Amino acid sequence: MRVCPLTRAWSALLLLSGLSTVIASLVTRGLAPVAVGGAILVLAWLKARVILSRYLGLWKAPGWRAGFNWVLGFYCLLLLALYFVPTVVS
Amino acid sequence: MAEPMPRPGSVEELPGELLMWVLIVSELLVFGAGLAAFLGVRITDPSGFAEAQDHLHRTAAALNTVVLVTSGFLAARALHLREAGRRAASRLHLGGAMALGVVFLWIKGIEYADKAAQGIGFETHPFFMFYYLLTGFHAAHVAAGILILGLVAVWDEAHHIKVAGAFWHMVDLMWVLLFPVVYLLA
Repeated sequence: MRVCPLTRAWSALLLLSGLSTVIASLVTRGLAPVAVGGAILVLAWLKARVILSRYLGLWKAPGWRAGFNWVLGFYCLLLLALYFVPTVVS
Repeated sequence: MAEPMPRPGSVEELPGELLMWVLIVSELLVFGAGLAAFLGVRITDPSGFAEAQDHLHRTAAALNTVVLVTSGFLAARALHLREAGRRAASRLHLGGAMALGVVFLWIKGIEYADKAAQGIGFETHPFFMFYYLLTGFHAAHVAAGILILGLVAVWDEAHHIKVAGAFWHMVDLMWVLLFPVVYLLA
């Protein structure tokens, strides 16, 4: 049976959201907060990509989709850098 | 005669209304600045922010993520159904999307009530100032989105549903960025 792209997008969003919560809980099990923070922001970026592409329909405009993905990717890098600063300074 | 294909990368290629995209980008800039400011202020007191964050309901917020992305899914399906001429099914999906929006606000209300019961307010810690500002602003968009979805469920032209859906997906997009930064990045 062929699953429609919208249902696939929804499933991917649920999976990525669940994964974010599980990864966040790993901090209490001794995993480095920096690694956890990085993983959480990568997952947030992936979720934003799915929403832009499938929910907002940017898959029909690949040029615009690439632009949004790049800008959001750089923005997540900025957030990651701000998150890392206290670790680097201390 | 068939309409000419829009030039790749041109404004005409964007799906839906250009003005809605202007709104989406503007809102993303505002939220983006808020989240960056949140992490910027965190630099001055990382342990205080981590301690304050422990008062949040991560599970409730994760549940709200599921609620909101499912609501977005229903709104997107409503458009497909309307374009296929299935008006009743489309309206049903819009109703479902609205109901999940109400569930989101209800869970958020429980979260706020719990904070109030703990004596946590706007001025308790800078973390909570950002928490209330960002989540409150987002919740206001959810409330507005529910109203807009209700309007297009009544005046259900496909074009109206597309614009309302885009607003609703923007609210989704804000949440998937807000949730990890405010609730998960300890």
